[in-house]
Amino acid sequence: MVQFTLPRNSKITKGKAWNPPAKGAEPGRWREYRIYRFDPETGENPRVDTYWVDMNDCGPMILDALLWIKNKIDPTLTFRRSCREGVCGSCSMNIDGTNTLACTMHAEEARGAAIAVYPLPHMPVIKDLVPDMTQFYAQHREIEPWLKTDSPTPQKEWRQSHEDREKLDGLYECILCACCSTACPSYWWNGDRYLGPAILLQANRWVEDSRDERTGERLDDLEDPFRLYRCHTILNCTKACPKGLNPAAAIANLKRKMVERT
Amino acid sequence: MTNKLEAERPLSPHLQIYRPMLTMMMSIAHRITGAGLAIGFALLAWWLVAVSMGPEHYECVQTFFGSFIGRALLFAFTWALIHHMLGGIRHLIWDTGTGLDKTTIEVFAWATIIGSILLTVLVWVIGYHQMGGL
Repeated sequence: MVQFTLPRNSKITKGKAWNPPAKGAEPGRWREYRIYRFDPETGENPRVDTYWVDMNDCGPMILDALLWIKNKIDPTLTFRRSCREGVCGSCSMNIDGTNTLACTMHAEEARGAAIAVYPLPHMPVIKDLVPDMTQFYAQHREIEPWLKTDSPTPQKEWRQSHEDREKLDGLYECILCACCSTACPSYWWNGDRYLGPAILLQANRWVEDSRDERTGERLDDLEDPFRLYRCHTILNCTKACPKGLNPAAAIANLKRKMVERT
Repeated sequence: MTNKLEAERPLSPHLQIYRPMLTMMMSIAHRITGAGLAIGFALLAWWLVAVSMGPEHYECVQTFFGSFIGRALLFAFTWALIHHMLGGIRHLIWDTGTGLDKTTIEVFAWATIIGSILLTVLVWVIGYHQMGGL
């Protein structure tokens, strides 16, 4: 359902400024970060705290800055991170107005003088920058993302030609970071029923897999006004993907498959 | 305890913080022009009804459309119609599975904006020319 404003318990209040640099500090040395904070223990509304990161002492990436703040200023700042090289998808968040991975974004790429950091948009927040991904993962489970076959399992591996394997390029690289899905206004308004770009890209990955023998069944499951057809080609997904994939094209491919089989 | 916490979880901000991007704005513009067309066609229907109701009514409607406000509305209607049509063509191309790469989506967006303005002006220039000037 479309609701442009935030619910009462989600309205953002003014937070605190943690370490404003001293007057006459070296210009350009301290980079300002405005970070969304929510503490479930206090029951207070979310707020935006301001931190200044010493660029002479901190690595180049946004994740470096977050870790610098956590280590040096405020150990309560909470966020997910793991691989620090864009492979695991843990540190996805909204940085400088768009969804991306904190570990692969340079602080220099930010357009804002103060770098705004929020959790992935339109998600229930567990704490600070950590959203509840339960629904997202349940939707991934719903498309049954594994090889489904009727033929007897071969002695060795399921064979695939080079050409057929190439059809999975641009699909298998998805790390399920949810940057695309949570950038999509359709997913914001109808995330309970619309599967969203990440899950539809995964669905397309299994529809395109030459070894899978339940393509028709998979398409049947997507033939629904909400699950697939809430995509209105807004294209925020493709603009957001930190892996350079194209969920919008994957969804267009699914829509075309629907037409071709009728 | 868990259920209570889950119920109280705030919703992270969305529209409030997402940076507006051209492609996203084009999608919104497509919807707004679509809704605007409903008003435009109501005006058109009013004109047609007036034709069937006789010369006095027709004269009244003609005076309205001839006024500055009337002309401004018709100009906006023309633009909305052309913008929505070009947007529709863009969607038709996308439905074939092409034109979705990152460069082309920006080109399409600009082509829709510039094309809709040029075509709207063209329609009005031709219109005035047919009428024999302002």
